[in-house]
Amino acid sequence: MKSVRNLYVIVTGVVAVSLLAGGLAEWLDSGTEEGGRFAGYVQRVPVVPACHIVGAVGVIWLGWYWLKLAGGITSIARRLKANSIMDSRFRGNDKRKASGNAVIDELSEALSEALVRYSNVIGELEKQINDLQIQIQLTQRQKGNIEAIIYSIHDGVIVIDEFDRLLMANEAAGGLFNFNFRSSQHRRIGELIDEGKSEFVDFLRQSRQSKAQPTRKEIEFLEDGKLKTFDCIVSCIYDESRQVCGVVAVLHDVTREKQISQIKNDFVNHVCHELKTPLASISAYSEMLSDGEAKDGRTRKEFYAVIQNQAIRLNRLIEDVLNISRIESGLVKVDKGPVSLTILIEEQLQMIKSYAEEKNICLKDIGQSRIVFDQVYADKDMISQVIVNLLSNAVKYTPSGGSIKIETEVDETANVARLSVTDTGVGIPENEIEHVFDKFYRVSTNKNQAKGTGLGLNLVKQIVEKVHDGRVFVSSKPGAGSTFGFELPLATREVVESLPVTSRG
Amino acid sequence: MSRKRVLIVDDEIHIVHVVAIKLRNNDYEVISADNGAEAFELACSEKPDIIVTDFQMPVMTGLELVEKVRQCEETKDIPVILLTARNFAIEEQQQEDLQISQCLSKPFSPKELLENIEDILYHRAVVNRQV
Repeated sequence: MKSVRNLYVIVTGVVAVSLLAGGLAEWLDSGTEEGGRFAGYVQRVPVVPACHIVGAVGVIWLGWYWLKLAGGITSIARRLKANSIMDSRFRGNDKRKASGNAVIDELSEALSEALVRYSNVIGELEKQINDLQIQIQLTQRQKGNIEAIIYSIHDGVIVIDEFDRLLMANEAAGGLFNFNFRSSQHRRIGELIDEGKSEFVDFLRQSRQSKAQPTRKEIEFLEDGKLKTFDCIVSCIYDESRQVCGVVAVLHDVTREKQISQIKNDFVNHVCHELKTPLASISAYSEMLSDGEAKDGRTRKEFYAVIQNQAIRLNRLIEDVLNISRIESGLVKVDKGPVSLTILIEEQLQMIKSYAEEKNICLKDIGQSRIVFDQVYADKDMISQVIVNLLSNAVKYTPSGGSIKIETEVDETANVARLSVTDTGVGIPENEIEHVFDKFYRVSTNKNQAKGTGLGLNLVKQIVEKVHDGRVFVSSKPGAGSTFGFELPLATREVVESLPVTSRG
Repeated sequence: MSRKRVLIVDDEIHIVHVVAIKLRNNDYEVISADNGAEAFELACSEKPDIIVTDFQMPVMTGLELVEKVRQCEETKDIPVILLTARNFAIEEQQQEDLQISQCLSKPFSPKELLENIEDILYHRAVVNRQV
């Protein structure tokens, strides 16, 4: 481009000098004195025609050069308009017929349009940049939220890459495996988890190598000296080419669920056993009767009585299970009214008397307030059930020759009536006392002392606390005996007096 | 031929009673206990021909009783029938190890129990004759 420009300057100079020389030669030829002297030197050569020829050639060249320049500019303008819908306007100008002004106008117009278009493009880009920035902020916020969620999940979450290096772990996982995520990131998982929990590491590796769909395994760890069970679900993470690039593991503590499941299984076993025992008697005695094994009328009568008693026992057990279930689900029908604990105790003592006498156990009823003020607002049948359960338990776990003391007292300050049953039985170890009211719980050391379902005391607690807003209590000393009892809110005087005399107690 | 002696062990008095009547009606001599510890003493002193015991009992379970019976030189060969209200109370291997002749699930038929007792005692008698 530079050489072309230089050439243009030279040619322009030559044309100008030629034209000047031609003019000068004509001036000399005009006959002036100074011209006549100089003409003498130049008349020897054909200066004027030469100058005119050179000038003419120069003018032609300049014209050609100008056309070429115009064509170049037009081409630039056309390129600028290449993507424009205005492009068609230039197609007719290919023959480079446009004049200089027209080309400049076109160029100006094209430049303006390009400027507008690029301004629009820049505007669009700025908008897209803004959108992207917003999206980045949103993504970062979402990432933060997801991280916060993952970190706050109670279950342990661990992510490792294809080389077993730790990519992410939440606080629960860190606590479970005793590592700090920040300082442990990118370390191999096998180095972070101690050997006692290596079953989990092996499971992660197996799941990754098998490239399987989510796999599940129950793994047991010893944590703080306690055996805990975790439900581990491991899923492979795939990259765009469907290659496994890591695994994510979620560890859910199912220790409690396992315990509940065990309790339920124990319950089913207990209930089945307890149901089968009277059923076995009913079945055996019925068969004996139908086979004519009861030889005389007395024996037959005895067999019928056994069948009847065992059927009652079976029904009572079913009722116990159903009552607990009803109370727990809130479906129990409660028929509350003012009842006297003293009268209920007397009734239940009559029922339990023969059982106590069989075992040579002395029953002592120490009623403090044999008056109307020990009345509580309660469901009579339910409280009778509570009293009989406490009394029969006491007889059951008291050795022959022992004694059982039943006490009632009215605490007007606390506005409660209190009943306690104290025996001289085997007692309960201290570490087991807090569980004695649990459903199906049986004191380990006393299991073999007597049969039971582990439902009686739970029913007592449910009836007293859930149905009557009362409180159960227990104290015991192994080998010395136990005291079980309950408190119920006293019936208000207004309630008692509002009822007819016959219905009291 | 002397009457065969059967030791019945169950804390359910009604079960003991009904089995005892069934066996006595079929010319067996019956002795009974309501727990494993008492039963072991009786087994040592009375040398029954067969023991019929419940699985779950206070003081000493049926399984503990069988283990003790098998460890004692005087009682180790006494055949045992185990009555149980629990399904899958013991595994086959355990039954084999403790030489429990039969496991009967409650509710059981006294007639079926009698048939089992007769079968076991008959096979034992045959084996003893061969020896």
